[in-house]
Amino acid sequence: MVAATGKRAEVDGRRLSSAGRALVVIVLALVFGLLLDAPGLHKSAFNESRGTHRTVALALTGPLESVSHALRLDRPRLWVKEALGRTSDDSIDTTVAVPVAPVHHARGPRLVRSTGAAIPGRPGSKRRAFTPKHPLRLWIAGDSLVIEPGYALQRAALATPVISSVGGVDGRIATGLDRPDVFNWFLEIRHQLKVVHPNAVLLCFGGNDDKAYMTGLPAGVSIDSFDDPSWRHEYARRVGGLIDMINRAGAYVVWMGLPVTADAAQTSRFDQINSVVDGVVRARPGGAAFVDTYRLLQGPDGGYAQYLQNLSGQLEDVRAPDGVHLAPAGAAIVAREVLKDLNTAYDLTSWRKALPKP
Amino acid sequence: MLFPTATFTIFFLVVLPLSWLAMADLRRWRVFIVAASFVFYGWWDWHFVFLLAGCIVWNYLLAIQIYRAVPERARRAWLVLAVGGDLVLLGYFKYYDFFVSSAHNLAVQVGIGLPLSTRSIVLPVGISFFTFMAISYVVDVYRRDFDPVTFGRFAAYLSFFPHLVAGPIVRPGELLPQMETRRDPRRVDTSRAFYLIATGLFKKVVIANYLATHITDQVFAVPGSHSSAELLVATYAYAVQIYADFSGYTDMAIGLALLLGFRFPQNFDSPYAAVSLRDFWRRWHMTLSRWLRDYLYIPLGGNRKGRLRTYANLMITFLLGGLWHGASWTFVVWGGIHGAGLSFEHWRRDRPGYMEPQPSRTGIWVRRAVTFNVVCLAWIFFRSDSIGQAWSMVTGLFTRWGEPAPLVTAGVLVWIVVGIACQYLPSRIPLGVMARFSRLPVVGQAFVLGVALMLANAMGPQGIAPFIYFRF
Repeated sequence: MVAATGKRAEVDGRRLSSAGRALVVIVLALVFGLLLDAPGLHKSAFNESRGTHRTVALALTGPLESVSHALRLDRPRLWVKEALGRTSDDSIDTTVAVPVAPVHHARGPRLVRSTGAAIPGRPGSKRRAFTPKHPLRLWIAGDSLVIEPGYALQRAALATPVISSVGGVDGRIATGLDRPDVFNWFLEIRHQLKVVHPNAVLLCFGGNDDKAYMTGLPAGVSIDSFDDPSWRHEYARRVGGLIDMINRAGAYVVWMGLPVTADAAQTSRFDQINSVVDGVVRARPGGAAFVDTYRLLQGPDGGYAQYLQNLSGQLEDVRAPDGVHLAPAGAAIVAREVLKDLNTAYDLTSWRKALPKP
Repeated sequence: MLFPTATFTIFFLVVLPLSWLAMADLRRWRVFIVAASFVFYGWWDWHFVFLLAGCIVWNYLLAIQIYRAVPERARRAWLVLAVGGDLVLLGYFKYYDFFVSSAHNLAVQVGIGLPLSTRSIVLPVGISFFTFMAISYVVDVYRRDFDPVTFGRFAAYLSFFPHLVAGPIVRPGELLPQMETRRDPRRVDTSRAFYLIATGLFKKVVIANYLATHITDQVFAVPGSHSSAELLVATYAYAVQIYADFSGYTDMAIGLALLLGFRFPQNFDSPYAAVSLRDFWRRWHMTLSRWLRDYLYIPLGGNRKGRLRTYANLMITFLLGGLWHGASWTFVVWGGIHGAGLSFEHWRRDRPGYMEPQPSRTGIWVRRAVTFNVVCLAWIFFRSDSIGQAWSMVTGLFTRWGEPAPLVTAGVLVWIVVGIACQYLPSRIPLGVMARFSRLPVVGQAFVLGVALMLANAMGPQGIAPFIYFRF
């Protein structure tokens, strides 16, 4: 009900305003919001991909953060973060905390299998056995590509009492190994190894790493472009460092490769990342295995396929609508392959022999 | 372009003043708003701009044919062609692979081969919404509810960016008359607009995202590894999550349209306070339910052709309504539960000599609880990736009590309670808040909104997850 009270019209007791006034309110609200939120905005700007957009965003948010701090306007955000237990949200830590020297792999699991390649196992070596009483502790982490296969692995693990998923599926959207400033996986994995004490870790990274820009580079190192030798060397150092860190904690790594995607250019970039990871894994026999998801999810023509036939000939939707991520059926295919790798690396079946015979 | 992003904020800061400046000349305004809407839509994938343009041209031309055709049969033929074209468009992009794979799998089971193959079709965002709006336009012209409008008017109606990608589904009779007259720049309902935008942002960014990441996604992904308590709380959490996500989006859409001078219909009205499924559908996604009623249920005969036909019409309407949400059997089951529930309510009410009792206060709460739990049961199928997974959720609700429930945290319970309790908030409270806000000086309003922005950003997760209804 519109009514005019004095000079101003009202609806249900609220005053109507002019469009110009609304615009002024929006602009001022954004100024207030930007000042109150300056630390978060500065971190978001820092996390942008390298380019003009990032340069401009940093040039704007840097001084904004200084002003906000000087006026103590960043305090309310800090209080909210403290109340939520998320004080580290706004910090930027680009430390790539990985072991310097490769570990000796003789004490790790004895077999490694890089999918599609020969198994460089050591005949006669004894694999560590797990039982329902002492199940294999499996931790799953990585970028968004690991989430669905992680859940599929958890579902598959329900069928066996010797695998226990610990720590849930730690899949974080838009993260990777290129940009520890966005999310520092090196610190996160180091921390989680101490918390969840896994025997095996499923990792998947690279979905957001097909860029030329890396942070946390060692002094004197620079990257010219994606997939040039300097990029490959640094990326291999990070992948190898993570595997070594996990191996030192006594756990085996299954590294899920990047899948074929609906975008040919992206698939080509993913291929380059896969080749780096595969090379690192091959250099660590006994410490890690590489799951070639490209091979598992390719269509009959060797390219991208939204649907694949299962063993009974039925078509299953294996990919998410975005043409990159996996649908549950595709994730189940990858999970089966991961379980095969775990069965190769560890003895997950001999406990059955101890069961009383019916 | 997602609403709660810096990109959209910049876009809107440019569009808002230019839209009001262009409003002096309505033809100029229509050209401007169509161009702005196409930029908004093309931001996802510029290829689909041609799809939207094609949909506009197709329905515009056929509406004129429907209007001009003289024998009734010719009018009807043009209507069938227009609606058929819209459904072909929707069917190809949304359901082609689903039906081909379902047919293939059925054929495999009976031992025959089909010469059909899937095509990995990318679903254009918002296609379900703008095709439904286009259908309502040509049907309304056919029904002579109003005459066809000019190309510019129709293009502005169909592509108007606040409703374009996830509704509300605005009927031609609601928006086109508003676009016929200059909006008054001195009388903008800004306090309601800001209230809707701020609360919508908070519902989406804080509540929906928190529940999704802290319990819903984990439990629905692997129901077999969670206790009954976690399954139950995750089901309630999803009910709140989808409400916060979808109503949050449409609140923002309604608020943005208000700032541009246009009123959209309400899309949610405290749905979890409903006392029956019938009542629920008057409160949940109201613009879709009335679209289904007016363009599907009533043309099918509604309740005018006997009891059995009424139940059949309800089932057809809700099965198709379920399928509208996505190409999956889980959505069909979701629609089936609602269709069956509504049929049961009709049957109960239509029994000879039945008199609706005056419910007591306790009776009302019992009915609310029953309705809410039936709706939640249907949400299990809606959210699950497969029927098997949904069934695992349902059976797990009864079989794993006493097991630990680490995901049932105080934070999760607080947001569920907040999400449900806000449905029972008397309307005078938000009205009072808006009235007081409207009386604040410019700086005061800006400060309140700035604090709201900071709170949403600080309490929400890093990054913005897509809206659930973008998939539909």
